[in-house]
Amino acid sequence: MNNQKGIIFLMKFNEQKRVVFLDPNSQLSIKDDEKVEIILSPSLYWVQKIKLPVKYIRDVKKLLPSLFEDILPSGNYNYSAYKNENEDESFFIFAYEDKKIIDLASRFGINSSNISSVHFAQSELSDLEGAVKINDSQSIYVKDGVVTLVPCCWIEESGNIDLENIKLSKHKITLAQFGHIVDNSSLYKIASVLVVFSLLFFSEYFITKQKISAIQEQKSKLYKEYDLKPTMFQNKAILKKYQGIHQNQTTLRQELSKKLKQKNIKLITYKNNNLKVES
Amino acid sequence: MNRINPAYIGVLLVMLLAMSLYLLNSAKDTLKESKQSFKETKKIATEIKSLKNAYANEVVTKKNIIRLLADKSLKSAEIKTEYKNSGVKISSKNMNKKALDVLMGKVLNSSYDVRSLKIKSITQEIAELELEIRW
Repeated sequence: MNNQKGIIFLMKFNEQKRVVFLDPNSQLSIKDDEKVEIILSPSLYWVQKIKLPVKYIRDVKKLLPSLFEDILPSGNYNYSAYKNENEDESFFIFAYEDKKIIDLASRFGINSSNISSVHFAQSELSDLEGAVKINDSQSIYVKDGVVTLVPCCWIEESGNIDLENIKLSKHKITLAQFGHIVDNSSLYKIASVLVVFSLLFFSEYFITKQKISAIQEQKSKLYKEYDLKPTMFQNKAILKKYQGIHQNQTTLRQELSKKLKQKNIKLITYKNNNLKVES
Repeated sequence: MNRINPAYIGVLLVMLLAMSLYLLNSAKDTLKESKQSFKETKKIATEIKSLKNAYANEVVTKKNIIRLLADKSLKSAEIKTEYKNSGVKISSKNMNKKALDVLMGKVLNSSYDVRSLKIKSITQEIAELELEIRW
């Protein structure tokens, strides 16, 4: 039983993902739940082989938008770069539009959740010898180390592209599915504002809770100090009783002072809140 | 590619904000009610205390009545007193005009809980008195 589970796990773990070459002129047929690894056609990105006096990729990445500034047509671009292993201080830098790639993949029935990885043709096919045909009208070949897309009729073809046995490199990109809606910095700003307000409201909530506790404590002290009954209902009943007494006594004194003005008073009686004066 | 949709995070943050706002508003309402309740309790407590002191303080009322009845002008009236747990009954069959004025003036000008009173004129100068004060 355990062996069977282990085999299933291994099968899932070793599940083969299909490598596809994504180009607007490609003809692809993908199953609904098929996982794919995409190699982007040069028509889906802008590439430059550039020499820069920096050592690390992180330094290059900061410069990418400005390096492409005057080249790119208007659009919402993301950037990537990796070091050219064949030359010192040489880098391949890329600009690509996430939405364009996702839309194209979706046109071929590739759901973004089924995309395992996305690679540039530059990083995967730079070892090509001669030209290879990628569809009926286009071929790619490597010129000066850069994978280039050309019409078929320009060069003599050496055959169709073989993706069955390709070993993909570690250079891959992650597509920002929603980057075209709001850019990341705006998202962070909005999220920060929401978080800050939430924190403020929560702080205010805890302060208010403390104030409530303080008032409850004062109220308990008040009950002890004035020797009140446990419920307000009882206290209100007691108050009503004393207010009644006060009212009766005030009325008695007022009525008595009026009636004492009579002459030859023989009898004054007061019982059950009823005053009688007889002359 | 299995990135979390920013819309989900947005909705989560908005929900967090809404929840914090809701909790804050509830707490503020509770605080307002607590303040109101405290104010009301204090008012009731103060009123009960002052009315209790005026009409239901056995020790003080008894002491005041003893002091009042010890007045020289009331000696001739031969006043009888009957103390109970709930109050006192004061009576006299032979109370002159002056003694009646002194006694009733002091009783009615103080905050005693007079439950029953009977003053019957016997002659022009003498009256019969029955007075019950509660505490």
